[in-house]
Amino acid sequence: MNFDTTIGEENISTLHVEGKILGNATDTFRKEMEMQLQTGYDKLVVDLTNVPLIDSSALGAIVTTLKSCQESGGKLVLLNPQKAVQEVLEVTHLATVIEIYDTEESARDAFM
Amino acid sequence: MAETILVVDDDLDILELLKMNLEPEGYNVRTASDGDSAVQSACTDPPDLILLDVMMPHKNGFQVIEELKDIEETKSVPVILVTARGQTEDKVRGLDTGADDYITKPFDLREVTARVEAVLGRTRPIKYINPLMRAMGEGFSEKGLEQLAGHLQAAAAIQKKLLPEQAPSIDGFDIATLLQSSTSVSGDFYDFIPLSETQIGIVLGDVKGNGIPAALLMVMIRTALRLLCHEEDTPALILKRINDLVARDTEADLFATMIYGILDTETSTFTYSNGGHCYPLRWNTARNIDVLKTGGMLIGAFEEATFTTGTCLLAPGDILVFYTDGITETEAGDDPGSDENHGVSENSEQSDVYPDAIPTDTFYGGDRLAVCLSKNAALSASALCEAVVNDLALFSGSTQTPDDRALIVIKRDV
Repeated sequence: MNFDTTIGEENISTLHVEGKILGNATDTFRKEMEMQLQTGYDKLVVDLTNVPLIDSSALGAIVTTLKSCQESGGKLVLLNPQKAVQEVLEVTHLATVIEIYDTEESARDAFM
Repeated sequence: MAETILVVDDDLDILELLKMNLEPEGYNVRTASDGDSAVQSACTDPPDLILLDVMMPHKNGFQVIEELKDIEETKSVPVILVTARGQTEDKVRGLDTGADDYITKPFDLREVTARVEAVLGRTRPIKYINPLMRAMGEGFSEKGLEQLAGHLQAAAAIQKKLLPEQAPSIDGFDIATLLQSSTSVSGDFYDFIPLSETQIGIVLGDVKGNGIPAALLMVMIRTALRLLCHEEDTPALILKRINDLVARDTEADLFATMIYGILDTETSTFTYSNGGHCYPLRWNTARNIDVLKTGGMLIGAFEEATFTTGTCLLAPGDILVFYTDGITETEAGDDPGSDENHGVSENSEQSDVYPDAIPTDTFYGGDRLAVCLSKNAALSASALCEAVVNDLALFSGSTQTPDDRALIVIKRDV
């Protein structure tokens, strides 16, 4: 798994992840999101376009970060999850509490 | 283990009477004839309940309660006060001081038993869950983790004991289970809980997160379910209660997914709710596979989560299957044994089973599980479990289990 983070307009931070988020990669993923929050960026777009699969720990990291963002008045949205990830979000009903967008533009608009 | 009641009264005849009345109900009864020895007895070995007379010389019942509430070991032991008839002030003062209930003298022995059972029924869940919650709280600190690490082995042993070794035998149904653990402590669990002559509660779940907190969460959920499911509530309400309990007291990244349902052998129905767990599959003799999607949010992350109850009718020969994602997320080996019947029949109304399934060329997936089920539907429940294990080995090219796997197969007799 690789990722890079870009800070855009309105201090919206976009985390582009590439590869499966499994095992040890989950820790790295969690820490990166935590760091964004700690440095004051609580408007997060997590780009899952290039993520074929995530494990339950990664799901837990998303839930924790989502709640932290909400507590500080921000938000976490997901961008373009692929089939397998989308299915996990639906089965767990997380799709009902997390905003999911198809394009980077609509994801960013969610914060306006 | 029998619960212990400490009975305190300065009238030895009443002590004897209460002892004779409560012991046949299955309680251990200890007695004390004054306030001081009552406090001493309660501290030395805290009972499950204290039946306490108010009017005693030297130290009265109120003073005893006040002392007990100040002592760590005894402060959460429930107390029923025994007061003289008509002493309303006593009742109020008693409840203010921290008594859980009161009985007036002269009492009806049946009322004593009923009140004892009611108070124990209320406090029993708290008593079991409190130590678990305290342990989990510490589990999140470095020091706590160190302390608990030594108990990991013991936790694994306890977990194994908690899982039923055999599926229950029920008239008219053939039930089999499978559990394969990848590590010493398993996140997957299942349980069967007899509810009445014709009803059995069935749960299959998967605790997410790692290590000791996750293991404790499993024990806590299983215990909470055992205590809650005897009430005549819907599966959705029971999942809601467990969700609220876990969500309130644990970190958001510690959660579980689980299915809880009631199999009714009289009506041949399965009434269930699903907390974010892999959808159960039902195979019917018309060779269709239904995916049962009723349910709600995963358990333990959101306090505001809601759940829905669904019911499915099992006709003779129908098969119901629950499984954990360790099965569907099994990764393909180099030669994932090709299957010409792959995919569900296009003539079937249910041809869109798992429309968004994990691609079966990479992961085993619900789709392939459904096919395996259809092909082996004539087998017994335990042979079906075995068929799934064999198919997984064929698919992954390995008999190793990288993740925990659990499976329950319920087949109605033809």
